[in-house]
Amino acid sequence: MSEVIQKETMLSFIDGEINSNADSVAIRAINVRGKEALENTPFPTRKDEEWRFIDLNTIKKNSFTAVSEANAVDVGDISNHYLPEALNTRLVFVNGIYNEELSSISDLPNHVIVGNMSEYGDHDAVKEHLGTITNYEDDAFAPFNDAAFEDAAFIYLPEETSVEAPIHILNVFTDADKAFYATPRLLFVGEMYSKATIIEEHIGLANNLYLNVPVTEFRLFAGAHVHHARIQRDSKSAAHVSRPIAMIDRNAEYHSYTICLGAKLFRNDPRVIQNAAEVDFTVDGLVLIDGDQIADTHSIMDHRFPHGKSHQLHKVVVNDNAHSIFNGKIFVAKDAQKIDSFQENRNLLLSENGKVNTKPQLEIFADDVLCSHGATIGHLNDEEVFYLHSRGLTEQKSRELLVYAFALESVESMEVESVEKLLLEEVIKYTTRD
Amino acid sequence: MLEIKNLHAVVEGEDIEILKGVNLKVNAGEIHAIMGPNGSGKSTLSKVVSGHPEYEVTEGEILFNGEDITELDADERAHLGLFLAFQYPVEVPGITNRTLLREAYNTIARANDREELDPLEFEDYIESKLDVINMKDEFLNRSINTGFSGGEKKKNEIFQMAVLNPVLSFLDETDSGLDIDALKVVSEGVNKIANDENAIVMITHYQRLLNYIKPDFVHVMMDGRIIKSGDISLAEELEANGYDKMEKELALNGEAQ
Repeated sequence: MSEVIQKETMLSFIDGEINSNADSVAIRAINVRGKEALENTPFPTRKDEEWRFIDLNTIKKNSFTAVSEANAVDVGDISNHYLPEALNTRLVFVNGIYNEELSSISDLPNHVIVGNMSEYGDHDAVKEHLGTITNYEDDAFAPFNDAAFEDAAFIYLPEETSVEAPIHILNVFTDADKAFYATPRLLFVGEMYSKATIIEEHIGLANNLYLNVPVTEFRLFAGAHVHHARIQRDSKSAAHVSRPIAMIDRNAEYHSYTICLGAKLFRNDPRVIQNAAEVDFTVDGLVLIDGDQIADTHSIMDHRFPHGKSHQLHKVVVNDNAHSIFNGKIFVAKDAQKIDSFQENRNLLLSENGKVNTKPQLEIFADDVLCSHGATIGHLNDEEVFYLHSRGLTEQKSRELLVYAFALESVESMEVESVEKLLLEEVIKYTTRD
Repeated sequence: MLEIKNLHAVVEGEDIEILKGVNLKVNAGEIHAIMGPNGSGKSTLSKVVSGHPEYEVTEGEILFNGEDITELDADERAHLGLFLAFQYPVEVPGITNRTLLREAYNTIARANDREELDPLEFEDYIESKLDVINMKDEFLNRSINTGFSGGEKKKNEIFQMAVLNPVLSFLDETDSGLDIDALKVVSEGVNKIANDENAIVMITHYQRLLNYIKPDFVHVMMDGRIIKSGDISLAEELEANGYDKMEKELALNGEAQ
């Protein structure tokens, strides 16, 4: 007697067929590719090295439908989430679907495109770059996005154009009768010496369970400079699995900052691929979690050519029963000499039951490089607490102030004033406990 | 103002007694100096009085304006007007001097039903205090003690003292780590703050500081007790003869132990 063991795939947790009705040939091609990969890729288990520490039950114990089947509530007024600096450079996606009414893109320089990709399906940059750099080996999530997405944010900057105002990609998620999935997608193509700041936000408007699986692709050509902030404020019941990837050419700079505040389960795998010599990039992160939140960052900084400079500061605060995982890989290829790469993971553990796993991982095949890494896990320093306490602050206030100070450094890198302000408010909300 | 009676203290959770029956009385308008060799318990005394959770009082009491404060938390003691200038001021990256002082000033004001200062009022107030230790404005924007030189850290303690305007200050080895220029600035600052209504207890190893801040009383501490009290001449005697000689003399006279 023989038994065929059917391995679980992503589809095991999806209710109904995945049907994309994209008009664009380019998008449909990716949809088809995604469906094939999806059927042949097993869902990760604890036996997979890259998934050893993470509890995926928020996905595995549930079943997710398409938004169209979930009876999602109307989005309502979300103007409190608009950024004053980006009032006319904003795209809004509600549950992954483009919302033209709430979007406003009237304030763009000539020839710059910020819009829904389905309108630009024939654009050369879409045809050339969509889905080309996203290459997560044996991955169930990027193919899921590939298979299901119809709408997507498309940002295109011609040569030597600079967009002054930050471009706000606002993904909001509404309450619904059923748990649903959403697959936000963002393709950014910056031609030579273009320049922009992108604020990518994910906001849960209610406290419902949904599965958010975004893919963002950033292709920077020579001399392009991009600042990319990703702010994850999903519902505290949601699962969010992110695939943000960037490929950058000579003299390009790509600085990314991921702020994790929401979601019950957050898995983020940022990757930056150096595609030519002389680049500069950042893969910073700030994670503030409590309750039973799980946040897992698996990053890759992939140095393939000489003279790259890169930096990663990943800061984590864990309270209650929350669990943070960090695995930061720095790759340096054989001929990639003179790489200057620095990685630091600092964890602040505020509770007895909080948990932190951290694993810096350097794989260096060149012999003339400057690479360093460090990881620390600690509690608040008692002498620091007493110092503030002795100045008249309550012990609680002293602790809050120290946590605030720990998180501050990452918030100050945002460069957009209103974003800094909203993050400071979030930090205060996180540190102030009754 | 302050009355310490037969104070005994241990490190929390340990048996070793560090303070073995300290008695001290400080009145408004007075400056006291406590001198003693390393390990005599003088720094511990300042920490116990300010409410450091590392120490446990096992016997005796600390009265402040008649109220027993032995069981109060450090912030409650600060609200009553106690201040400790740390021997090793702590670096706190990410919090500026201004932020800490405004929070501390207003917390203390609130606890005493005094008017809080809004940011603009506080700015005027805090700037008026910079002169006390010859500090520039930008000092306020720096993270607390972060990357400060030894001298700057000690100046910062005196600056905080000037801003918070305490009733009773313990200065724990404020002279250690200072060059002569910084010593003069710090001393001048303390002299500017001292008045008829407040009191200062300086803890020091050397007599040098006392050339710049004149104490009304000098106490010698050894082995967890104050073993001798007098005026400035006691400090001069210590400087000339050292602690060993005084300890021997006292033992001969049966005053120690």
